[in-house]
Amino acid sequence: MYPIITRSVPVQLGRRIAKPSLTLTLRTVVANNGSKRWASSVNSLTKTQLPFTYSPNGPKIVKYTKDHEWIAAHEDGIAFIGISKYASDSLGDATYIELPEVDTIIEEGESMGSVESVKSASEIYQPVKGEVVEVNTELENKPQLINQDPMGLGWIAKIKLDSMNDIDSSDKLLSLDQYEESLKHDD
Amino acid sequence: MLKIGLINRISIRRRFTVSYFTTGKTPFNLSNTDGKDDKYKELNSMYVDMFTPEGDESETVSNPNNNKSELEEINEEMNDLCNIGYKKISSQDLQSITKSPGRFILQSLSHNPYYNLSLEDYIFRNTPSCTGSFTNQRLLFYINDNCAVMGKNQTSWKELHLKQLQESGYEILRRLSGGGAVIHDLGNVNYSFLTARDEFKTSYFNELITQWINRMSPMDYPLKLNKRGDITYNDKKCSGSAFKIAKGKAYHHGTMLISAQLDKFHGLLKPDHINGVEWECNSVDSVRSEITNIPFNAPGEFIDLCIKGFREEFALMTGANDSVPVYYCDETSTMNTQIAETMELLSSDQWKYFTGPKFKVKSTETNKTISVEKGIIRQSDFPGIVGKPFKDIFDKNPQELEPASLRRFISLLY
Repeated sequence: MYPIITRSVPVQLGRRIAKPSLTLTLRTVVANNGSKRWASSVNSLTKTQLPFTYSPNGPKIVKYTKDHEWIAAHEDGIAFIGISKYASDSLGDATYIELPEVDTIIEEGESMGSVESVKSASEIYQPVKGEVVEVNTELENKPQLINQDPMGLGWIAKIKLDSMNDIDSSDKLLSLDQYEESLKHDD
Repeated sequence: MLKIGLINRISIRRRFTVSYFTTGKTPFNLSNTDGKDDKYKELNSMYVDMFTPEGDESETVSNPNNNKSELEEINEEMNDLCNIGYKKISSQDLQSITKSPGRFILQSLSHNPYYNLSLEDYIFRNTPSCTGSFTNQRLLFYINDNCAVMGKNQTSWKELHLKQLQESGYEILRRLSGGGAVIHDLGNVNYSFLTARDEFKTSYFNELITQWINRMSPMDYPLKLNKRGDITYNDKKCSGSAFKIAKGKAYHHGTMLISAQLDKFHGLLKPDHINGVEWECNSVDSVRSEITNIPFNAPGEFIDLCIKGFREEFALMTGANDSVPVYYCDETSTMNTQIAETMELLSSDQWKYFTGPKFKVKSTETNKTISVEKGIIRQSDFPGIVGKPFKDIFDKNPQELEPASLRRFISLLY
């Protein structure tokens, strides 16, 4: 009898990609043990990458959702969206990133993509309403960027906000402190 | 519709019975059997026969598990055909149990894969997520008729022998969770365990199943988990898994091969490599594994055992005698708009063939490529096909495909 039931592995251009570093693999899957270990800075934006450097002085505001997305909004109404370090560590090695389509308007709370890792499809939700102006196509060939630098190189979408007020006035979005606090309650 | 011979280990007599049912004449209409209609008499005496222990059947009788599952299964089959047996919950009941907190077990009696996957999605989306300790675990069981189910982020033409599947009458589905491609038939049980995202661990539920079976119904070889958290029997895979995470919740759904017709699975899922074809894509690849059924008598036996194990594991806190309730449903008694919409999505060509990862496929004979995004051919060295749906080219009568090199290449993808 030959192969029938199957499982997934990361594949890139017909070849298996190298396994990410040991530290990443060790942190996979068990989310609830992990959060205690990490310093509070791990869920902040990478200061050397586009979501931060898009404006010379960095984003005007960075917020989080309880579903582990982050959004970094800049002065000109452009915002970057991705998943938190906590989320990426708990998901494990990413094998495929489903990106939203450019030019589509996505309402707050709608699914805007997903991350597949270890046979798990994990939905990503739009933190506030906006039009997708660009997606991080690097992730198509290098889904592992989501594990290496989820809050920088591994950004998912760049959107044009309807209004900056949506972020300021949202009672669903969390500050970094509030987000980190919510992770403690997850345990 | 029930298929004869769906269970490998069914006795000849049972098959015979089933074929009677499919004629639409119920054998229980005793008023018709008073001498006029001898075939009913024959059938009824066959039933008496079947349920009366005989000397030469002492082996079966001595094993209460075997006996129970045979009965169980007859019930299940009859339920399918005559709508009797299990009490199915109404659409309102489904809404109410799903949106209320608390644990439950639900078994779908439908074999329609579109219904079953949509039902699962409905329960997943509508189960309340709660802060603090999560007590809304749900366990679902369903058995799908012949179908191939691939992961959300896979490419059907790469993973499946679509032509062979279509010719053999298999439905083709793209599910909402991740993972690889699997074949389902009536001898395969699907289980689906829903819990909180934060309590979610990919190997958790398979560890439980393994413990339950090894403890309550030991087999020749104990079930084991391999490094990837898949269940194996005698070092062969008997169960596949996939997961979905959203909105603070997660589910693990898996298959358990019990009396699947494994010989018929051959040639339905594609091997890693087919000569003449090279794929360039970052979709999720399937890994081929040797598979086996586990030696249970019937799917129902596995379901019963899991229900018992689940109830022990997740006893209700409310009272000593309470246990997690078990409900039954199917698409005629238990339906709602959300389920219907998801069924429509899952059965649409849009979802199956125009969604999913982009890919490039190369004919090594001619070195020509076809690049496809969202199901549409964006670029190709073959003339005249850019802008057309890849599905249309694939489905075309080969005689109509020009040039011959394209015809030869497409036929390699069947």
